[in-house]
Amino acid sequence: MDQLAIASTDRPLVKHFRAVVAVAGISLEVSPGTVFGLVGPDGAGKSTLIRMLATVLAPDSGDALIFGNSLVRDTEEVSARMGYMPQRFSMYPDLTITENVNFFARLRGVKKAERKERSAKLLEQMGLTPFAKRFAARLSGGMKQKLMLASVLMHEPDLLLLDEPTTGVDPVSRREFWEVIARLRADGKTIVVATPYMDEAERCDQLAFIDAGRITRQGTPAEIKAMVEGTLLSVLTTDPHETATVLRDARIAGVSSGHIFGDEVRILAKDSALAGERVREALHQAGIPYELNAINMDMESAFAVLAETAPVQEAADA
Amino acid sequence: MSWVRVRLLIWKEFLQLARDPILLRMLIIMPIAQLLLLGYVVSADIKDISMAVVDLDHSPVSRTLTQSFSASGFFEIKEQLATESDIQPLLDDGKALIAVVIAKGTGAEVDAGRVAPIAIVVDGSNAQVSTVASSYAAQIVQAYNAQLASSYGSVGGVPQIDAKVRVVANPTLATVNAMIPGLVSLIMMLSLMVVMSMAVVRERESGTLEQMFVTPILPGEYLAGKVVPYALIATAQALFIGVLGSWWFGVPFVGNALVLMVGLLLFLLVCIGLGLLISLISSNRQQAQQAVVFTLIPSIVLSGWVFPIDSMPPTLSWVSQLLPLTHMIEILRSTFMKATDFIDMAVPLLALTTFAVIFFTSAIFATHRRLREM
Repeated sequence: MDQLAIASTDRPLVKHFRAVVAVAGISLEVSPGTVFGLVGPDGAGKSTLIRMLATVLAPDSGDALIFGNSLVRDTEEVSARMGYMPQRFSMYPDLTITENVNFFARLRGVKKAERKERSAKLLEQMGLTPFAKRFAARLSGGMKQKLMLASVLMHEPDLLLLDEPTTGVDPVSRREFWEVIARLRADGKTIVVATPYMDEAERCDQLAFIDAGRITRQGTPAEIKAMVEGTLLSVLTTDPHETATVLRDARIAGVSSGHIFGDEVRILAKDSALAGERVREALHQAGIPYELNAINMDMESAFAVLAETAPVQEAADA
Repeated sequence: MSWVRVRLLIWKEFLQLARDPILLRMLIIMPIAQLLLLGYVVSADIKDISMAVVDLDHSPVSRTLTQSFSASGFFEIKEQLATESDIQPLLDDGKALIAVVIAKGTGAEVDAGRVAPIAIVVDGSNAQVSTVASSYAAQIVQAYNAQLASSYGSVGGVPQIDAKVRVVANPTLATVNAMIPGLVSLIMMLSLMVVMSMAVVRERESGTLEQMFVTPILPGEYLAGKVVPYALIATAQALFIGVLGSWWFGVPFVGNALVLMVGLLLFLLVCIGLGLLISLISSNRQQAQQAVVFTLIPSIVLSGWVFPIDSMPPTLSWVSQLLPLTHMIEILRSTFMKATDFIDMAVPLLALTTFAVIFFTSAIFATHRRLREM
């Protein structure tokens, strides 16, 4: 079946919180069996969008079709096929892993036999089996996220909405979590995930860049990176902050953006040869040792550049 | 409504309660401790109350009665008066707080196996002391009656002394006539509201509320899942501390237990509904706690428990009618002190019903609304 997991209607989703516009009008198309990433600065409206799709928040106006069902009118059908994992840990701290998983599954009406089979399978997959009797309050950050994912998967939803599922989780757990996501995708699930991590964004099939409540750019990770014009230059130094200051003060023509990336200062230049020349001059004068290379565009840089140069669309009506 | 889901929610609530030692303590130990402590405050040091006796009968019955008053230890007979009109100056001077008038012919009536009235006059200006004084006096008369009944056996009519309490100087004493029952209702309101106000806001803070509402659960089911466990606990609590308090402090109960039960049940629902409403509209625990304090203080001051409603300025006495505790105290006071039926208590019972309906309807609306606003 080729029905879209999320299909837009002619009425984009809008949500205000009093005078603040959280989502100014977003239409989304997500193909089934894909991982769709939402990236964008804090407060861009990613969480609000996910919560609307999760039927937690009712949109002020607009609608979307989730597997053909109206988000606004067929809330029950939508939520039955959907699993939502909020940004914050949202399980009962004074219930054990097993109790939490079973409680939410029973609320969803999952039959006893299925509950038993699925919880055993999911806890095993997440590596939570040895901790099944531990209170949720006493789990580590990574285990908490896995518990939430296990709980969300108990009613076998076709669409998963994950709001920054790995924020505050250690790198190892983060990698494990994405392995689970890859497995779910292979099982044919559709996953919409908001993430602040660009390495995670790179693993998505499709990305939407959200800024000020609108999707400003959308495409595959490669397409997004290709949207950034110019060449990325990497200046590797021992003191990236000093280097960045020197380069900023030099006001090099044709350089549209620069940011610090570990030990490097990365700058985006229209004409890499000309800009490279000027960079050498400026750093030579300042007496800073460096190593200059032209590098491939990466997601982190693309994100930083796109966040700075997000096209200013028509002012959102408040 | 799905009974399966409601039952699941109730089970979860009990599971959490059982694992929360503080909450359990708050629901069981705190009320008992408060009852005993505060109970002594409201009934303490009331001994050797100065009493005047007007014995117009001069019979063995009147002498025995007078003696049982002085022998009880609660009363000290300061004056023997010749006429009833001598009482007022004595009360005005504060030389006596209570007076007993035994009319001529009382002994003869009792001997004839009939019911004889005696009058107990109480100075209502010291409301606390006079409440306790009149209830002690009533107790002593009751004990005397029991003695009479046993000595006369079941042959013929049972003679009885009917003590008619008359309050002078402060005719509104009736409103504070039930310190201990009032205390019981106040403690219940306190502990229930504190616990209930946490019920939803705790789930909001832990994020489970949001998770709950992506399941097919309906607001009514969610509320039922919250109300039923606490209503059960509250009923047990009410019975326990009510019986304990009345027994421990020797509060006589002469009224209709069924009326009291219905009133108490309605009051519990009102407290649960109000606590729930506070919990629903608060965004964190501190806010909920402050709201509870904000509701409890006027309830204590304006409900007529401590300060008589009739002596309040008109605006305040009107405000007091908007407090559920006012109506509960009226029911308690009436059912404890006199024979009352549902008709007598129609107004406070209806008031409590109205409060319960208002709070629960608002709670359901708040649940709907908060879903959209979270």
